[in-house]
Amino acid sequence: MNCKEVEERDILEAYLLDRLTEPEREEFEKHYFECGSCFSQLQTGLALQTELRRQPAMPTCARGASLLRAWVWAPAFATIIILLSAGLWWNSAHNRPPSQQVAAPPRVSPNVPIQVQSTAAAPSLEELARVEPPLYSAMVLRDAEDESHETFHKAMQFYVNRNYTKAIPGVRAAVKASPQTASFNFYLGACYLLAGQTDAAIVAFRQTISLGDPAYSESAHFYLAKAYLRRKDVARAKDELQKTVHFHGSMEAEATEILRQLRK
Amino acid sequence: MDLPSATSAGELRGLAERIRQGDASAETELVHEFTHRIFVMGVVRTHDREAARELVQDILMAVIGALRKGQLQDADKLAAFVHGTARNLINNQLRSASQRPPMEPLPEDLAQACRAEQLEDAERMRLVHQAMEGFGQEDRKILLMTLVDGHKPGEIAAALGLTSEVVRTRKLRALKKVTELIRKKMSRT
Repeated sequence: MNCKEVEERDILEAYLLDRLTEPEREEFEKHYFECGSCFSQLQTGLALQTELRRQPAMPTCARGASLLRAWVWAPAFATIIILLSAGLWWNSAHNRPPSQQVAAPPRVSPNVPIQVQSTAAAPSLEELARVEPPLYSAMVLRDAEDESHETFHKAMQFYVNRNYTKAIPGVRAAVKASPQTASFNFYLGACYLLAGQTDAAIVAFRQTISLGDPAYSESAHFYLAKAYLRRKDVARAKDELQKTVHFHGSMEAEATEILRQLRK
Repeated sequence: MDLPSATSAGELRGLAERIRQGDASAETELVHEFTHRIFVMGVVRTHDREAARELVQDILMAVIGALRKGQLQDADKLAAFVHGTARNLINNQLRSASQRPPMEPLPEDLAQACRAEQLEDAERMRLVHQAMEGFGQEDRKILLMTLVDGHKPGEIAAALGLTSEVVRTRKLRALKKVTELIRKKMSRT
């Protein structure tokens, strides 16, 4: 790889967005370990990316254009949302097993299936990347409760109230106090994902997977796939979805459906 | 713009040999040469700046340890050796973060060199912030859509009513302008 190729193929941006294949990434890293010019630009690119992420979201023309298009379709979207909400309400009111309505072990329930009609056009990556918050129901073992669990449960009250950003500091503190607890890591990933902090979510889900707790592995692979979809990294998302399917658990059907949509 | 690396290939070659012979100043030079590169690589691969900072020390210690023992066969390949060591340790970290054994910390003088690099990093962030305030709205949009939203020049061009060539040129110009500003300001300090 040389400087010209880096510039012409937008390698620097693809590297920062983690979109290169492993061999391309290796090749670019080897290049910038020896090339002062490309490395300076990479450092600047990383600093710019960090700075832009830190700044409050600003409307771009593309976002503006999407909003405009969305406004034109607003009545249709509103109808769909009302129908979906009614369906979900009916489903939760009639089909939810009673065990999920009371305090249960901190397990993740199946995600809400993606609402895709087989006759409809293939959904966009943004649609496939949408997530419903993993269910959380606290199981309080009074005797076994330690400080980290207490911190976690307190923080998860924000999560239950859908204030994911506010939940993050507490859940992160619980992870710091007890890094081996898969549930803490998993819900930290969920909070990050739902708060729009995709990169941090990826780290937390990977950490959950590395802990090998069977109660959270399937869900962690599934939500990691969602995070990759959000970053439009289809290859890695597919890989994680396939791993989800291999568990043959509660998320198998949805993971299979998303894989099918991705193949379209 | 093809600026030479801070350290020439010849100097890098000599560095490995000097470290093998026990030259402490050569170890400090190695830290200066590679800390930023390892850090950037760590941030991109782990998506975690704090984890990347910790990894930098582990990686440098592993590299210096190997060089002291004369484990680098081809002195011309020092950069590739550092990169390979960094890649392996970062991958190990990603695979088994919790099982990673604590590494020996860097000696104080080398750790101090690492901290100096951290200050440079903070200064770079400050300069980037300052530079961005001088950008026009459209240039900011191009950078945002490229580096955060991950859109391709063609997509950005369609959204902003420009051509992809213009988007690409303005993106590169902005990147090079900030890089040059940083280089100038930081070389003065």
